[in-house]
Amino acid sequence: MARPEEETESRENAEFRRQARAWIQANQPADPGFKLPQSFLEVESEQQFTYLREWQRKVYDAGYLGLDWPSEYGGHSDPHKRQRIVSQELNRAGAPFMVNVIGLQWAGPTILAYGTEEQKKKYLKNILSGEDIWCQGFSEPGAGSDLAGLQATATPNGDGWIVTGHKVWTTLAHFAKWMILLARTDQSAHKYAGISYFLFPMDAPGVTVQPLVKMTGEGGFNQVIFDQAPMPKDALLGQLGQGWQIAMTTLTFERGAAEGTGGGSATPTAESVRAVASLAKRMRRDGRPAADDPVIRDRLVQLWIDEEALRLTGQRARVAGLNADDRPLATRLMNKLVYSELGQRMTEFACEVLGPDAGLWLGDPSAPDKAEWPRAYMNSFGVTIGGGTSEVQRNIIGERVLGLPKTK
Amino acid sequence: MTLRLEVPTDFGFTEEHSLLRGEVRRFLGERLPIAELRRQVDAGTRLDRGLWKEIAQLGWVGLVLPERFGGAGLGWLHLAILMEEMGRHLAPGPFLGSLLAGIALERAGDDAQRERWLPAIAGGETIATLALVEPGGAFEADAIAATADPVDGGFVLRGRKTHVVGGADAALVVAAFREPSGRASLFVVEGPAAGVSIEDEVSIDPTRPTARVAFDGVRVGADARLAGDGATALAETLVRGCAALAAEQVGGAESVLQITRQYAIDRKQFDRQIGFFQAVKYPIVDMMCGVELARSLACGAAAALDAGTPSADVHARMAKALAGDVYAQAVRKGVQLHGGYGFTWDCDVHLYFRRALWSRPMLGDAIHHRRRLAGALFGDGDA
Repeated sequence: MARPEEETESRENAEFRRQARAWIQANQPADPGFKLPQSFLEVESEQQFTYLREWQRKVYDAGYLGLDWPSEYGGHSDPHKRQRIVSQELNRAGAPFMVNVIGLQWAGPTILAYGTEEQKKKYLKNILSGEDIWCQGFSEPGAGSDLAGLQATATPNGDGWIVTGHKVWTTLAHFAKWMILLARTDQSAHKYAGISYFLFPMDAPGVTVQPLVKMTGEGGFNQVIFDQAPMPKDALLGQLGQGWQIAMTTLTFERGAAEGTGGGSATPTAESVRAVASLAKRMRRDGRPAADDPVIRDRLVQLWIDEEALRLTGQRARVAGLNADDRPLATRLMNKLVYSELGQRMTEFACEVLGPDAGLWLGDPSAPDKAEWPRAYMNSFGVTIGGGTSEVQRNIIGERVLGLPKTK
Repeated sequence: MTLRLEVPTDFGFTEEHSLLRGEVRRFLGERLPIAELRRQVDAGTRLDRGLWKEIAQLGWVGLVLPERFGGAGLGWLHLAILMEEMGRHLAPGPFLGSLLAGIALERAGDDAQRERWLPAIAGGETIATLALVEPGGAFEADAIAATADPVDGGFVLRGRKTHVVGGADAALVVAAFREPSGRASLFVVEGPAAGVSIEDEVSIDPTRPTARVAFDGVRVGADARLAGDGATALAETLVRGCAALAAEQVGGAESVLQITRQYAIDRKQFDRQIGFFQAVKYPIVDMMCGVELARSLACGAAAALDAGTPSADVHARMAKALAGDVYAQAVRKGVQLHGGYGFTWDCDVHLYFRRALWSRPMLGDAIHHRRRLAGALFGDGDA
């Protein structure tokens, strides 16, 4: 099927892409025979985790992770910034995702931007290899969309800090060695100014990780309680009180609005329209293939057009002259909003294509594609809500890009 | 079937494209501010000959025509940039007709025919148009009902075409007719010719006047039939026309976005700027996302045409489908968010509303293009 990028890239990059593709084909792990998570949001069992971590290690050892990161921190200092090509090829092959997504995509690039030389040396290589898994401690029960309302505190204690508080939606916390943690260090300061950013060791005493169950019934998602948990002085990233600013950098990576991550991809986007087209050919409706139904065809083409428009928007974001002078960030900042909502529309539509079989759930022997579609539709809300809800994204675009009056 | 969607990584964008955008912006900003456009609309101006002459002298009419036939020899991304800027300004007059006629002539004509007609079209001396749509709305080659019957040394043309852009001002009409063999061919009819009657339509968009053209036994010479296969040339013209018109629609939607955004900042109710309210803010954000997505497809279609990649027709249909819908959504929300003022003649949005309504079905609406695209997606038909 389509190979959108390859034809027009340089000979060097095209050769690199061919190598990567061949390597993935030869090394992609076999179906393990147990249920795999659809994304990093639901890695439940030790078995799933080990399988995924071994795969990341293998990809790293082959030289396909950290291409854009400096070689002194375990990367490759690739002058052509070709991590993107590897990610595209991994997606295309349907290879398992990189389990250390939070390290590779959020924590790593943030440490690269704000960390001391020692911090970079200490953390980055193990992020790439999967040796150290990372989780994120931003949201709290009372601070979701209003993240700056967070109440966890870090209090100076001797040579280090003591953390008290409650974090939620902490994906991978049960496997993580480190957490990027936002905590209040100055109660008297302004809401935004009193926050600092820490690299917290999850093996500290006083830390309790409790599973939360997602709407799909799966785990992989946690809450973390800190009861007087200690961390050393050098856990601080950047300056004291600089936490909000650094958190915004992390969120820019999380929302796919900046380049420079360690690799992997947080959300499956490639070729999803084609997967639904293939589903429509297999499903029947009124005694004929669903793919013959003119309404099904029209609706799927609408999604195809939107998907291709989004792909080209990502490509156009890198061509300054084809972006509006008065809003150069628009094409980057809209990415998360558009892809998450498109993914949701796509998976919901796939459930419609399923007809009555949309009512069959995980474990039913007749469920088409093992009920992956209704599961994916439910999981799509993790993307429209996590990393800043679609509503928060619209506020950000309206205010930062279009200059509309601030809501808050 | 294998479907390849390819657009050059950088869209083939160069400094030259920036320069063109700057030049177009400067000219239209000075020559065609919205007040001047409104003056023309209120005065019922159908053709501003001075403006037409200036546009022709800038080389815009022949922008994509080869230099040896009097054109500027530039590419489709250049045209997309020009069209987007013209769409922003609702540039009035017969430009689109001359553009499409020039493209069709270049595609279908042999060198003698190109030499004969293109330089005057590119230079603006001849206002031309492509008479495309037939009563009932058909416009693709397989549906043409107008006929060309061979007679001694030529043909007799019969049929009717509607929604012909700038028809009343055109001195040259390119149109498709079906020959007795079933083959569709493009013919050039230079007016005034016996048997041709042209009647002004009342266009919903006063900046884009149209006409009904009837061919009642029009006698033309054999050399009036363009040499190339009519169906192929028409299809190629439609792909290029869709890419160009999509870019124009993106420009129009961009203007509506800017106007509405500014109103949401300026207008106060409940002691606040109305853009503070999320019921106002969110639709404007969605408008922006739509404009950016459609712009990517319009630029992508143009870049694919420049690079000669086989997916250009898919991208052009996608661009026209999405840009038409995005423009329609922008004007719908644009009027609504202006409140009572949006419902008045004074508010500029209705001018764009008219253009959006006019251009959405022109060269095929989203329903039309999506039906054709489905064949490419499901692998059971051509785009």
